[in-house]
Amino acid sequence: MASTPAPHPFAPVLHSEWLKIRTLRSLLGALVALFAATTAFSALAGVSETSDPEFDPLFMSLSGVAPGQIAAICFGAMAVSSEFHGGGLRLSLAAVPRRGRWFAAKLCAIAVPTLAVGLVTAFTALVVARAGLGDAASGLSTGEQARGVVGCAIYLTLMALFAAGIAALLRSGVGALSLIIPFILVVSFVIGDATGAGVADFLPDRAGQAVLYETPDRTLGPWAGLGVTALWTAAALAAGAWSIRRRDA
Amino acid sequence: MTSIEVQALTKEFGTRRAVDDVTFRVLPGRVTGFLGPNGAGKSTTMRLVLGLDRPTSGTATIGGRAYGTLDEPLRHVGALLDAQAAHGSRTGRDHLRTLAASNRIPVGRVDEVLEETGLASVARHRVRTYSLGMRQRLGIAAALLGDPQVVMLDEPSNGLDPEGIIWIRELLRRLAGQGRTVLVSSHLMNETASFADHLVVLGRGRLLADTPMREFIHARVQPAVRIRTTDPAALKDALARHGHDAVGHEDGHWTVHHARVEDIGRLASAAGVPLLELAAEEGTLEQAYLDLTSTETEFTAQPQEA
Repeated sequence: MASTPAPHPFAPVLHSEWLKIRTLRSLLGALVALFAATTAFSALAGVSETSDPEFDPLFMSLSGVAPGQIAAICFGAMAVSSEFHGGGLRLSLAAVPRRGRWFAAKLCAIAVPTLAVGLVTAFTALVVARAGLGDAASGLSTGEQARGVVGCAIYLTLMALFAAGIAALLRSGVGALSLIIPFILVVSFVIGDATGAGVADFLPDRAGQAVLYETPDRTLGPWAGLGVTALWTAAALAAGAWSIRRRDA
Repeated sequence: MTSIEVQALTKEFGTRRAVDDVTFRVLPGRVTGFLGPNGAGKSTTMRLVLGLDRPTSGTATIGGRAYGTLDEPLRHVGALLDAQAAHGSRTGRDHLRTLAASNRIPVGRVDEVLEETGLASVARHRVRTYSLGMRQRLGIAAALLGDPQVVMLDEPSNGLDPEGIIWIRELLRRLAGQGRTVLVSSHLMNETASFADHLVVLGRGRLLADTPMREFIHARVQPAVRIRTTDPAALKDALARHGHDAVGHEDGHWTVHHARVEDIGRLASAAGVPLLELAAEEGTLEQAYLDLTSTETEFTAQPQEA
């Protein structure tokens, strides 16, 4: 046994967490679904007739994110909840007793693939939707499109991490999903409709979606909106980390 | 050498004391059986040793260090807590690979332990297709992955077939023979008797015994002699003259309590009593355990807990 406590290096832990993601088909499936749902719905939006004079070509191109983000949320929640399976967390924490380090590696293994798939997805969605929109999207500048693609990928990553934090806090993927998905599908819309702009613009999903608009008609600008989502995510992750670190495994 | 030291360890869940001021050491080079009914605190103690649960008070260390301070702990301590811990959608080999990667254990070692635990042929099958016995073997494979000096197994023979039970017995003996520290919990007495050198017994969270197994049995179960004769009257007479009392059984054999076979044999021979059978009845671990637990009145007929 080593006489001096050497710090457990981070790279092997990250490698292990990445292997865990790669070796679960359901997680790879969620990333494929993220790409497929987002691009398919964006393509549909691109070819559908629009008579709305206020239509935003950037948001129309990236509108597939609304259904697609569910897959990102599932990915984040399931990547964490796969650990709460029959005492699996005990096995993981016996292998890596430094819980903060372990959770950080888990989050990296969630964030990096989501960001990568998110970038490819957003770029593809934009290209496909623009092909359908034709001249209607010709006014988009390169800068706006780049912001839309990068912002979309960051937004999806933040939502996956938000779900990961909630799943860690609740120690349940089903619990996290049944909290977040109804929230996004129903509560966010209802509050948005009831209060108009204002409060709803600060909700985790609606705030970040400002980055998807050419001209966000919202309280928050694109990057400020993404910043608010990042704060929500940071809060969820802090709560999740607290649960992982403080509670008995 | 690496031993497990548990010092004044207490763990409360709400108002219930799952582990109550327990102190013992598990030494290398022998198999220590960890006995007690379900809910006695065996699994909780193991989780405390692994740093998974936080003790209310007291300490549990391995080679003088808290588990959480071990560098790449799988190389020092291997544990099986729950055979269901492997995710059903992963293959057995992938499950071990994820564990190995976190502690920089080479992949070659994964294949070695799969071979050693008899899982090589199903290594690339999903864990959900495994029987309970195969999951136990996978859990044991995970415990052996880092070639650890300390091995802790919680109910390892659960769900194993007879062949598997013989295998685990030989594995435990071999690990102890290699000088490792081996702690194995069980509630099966005969099973534990077949591999343990030393016993740690818990009841309702408290330490009831920490002794070598033979001493434990001899201190609690008096030896007896089993005897059969064609002339019971002469036998009883001869025994009574030497202060022994024989208890008859329906099938015709007699039991002489608190007696040694050497004495009874000589005595019967001297008295000319014809014998059909003469054998020593060794005390069993089960008898000794029941004797211990019956003295712990609060201990009996308690509802089991998960």
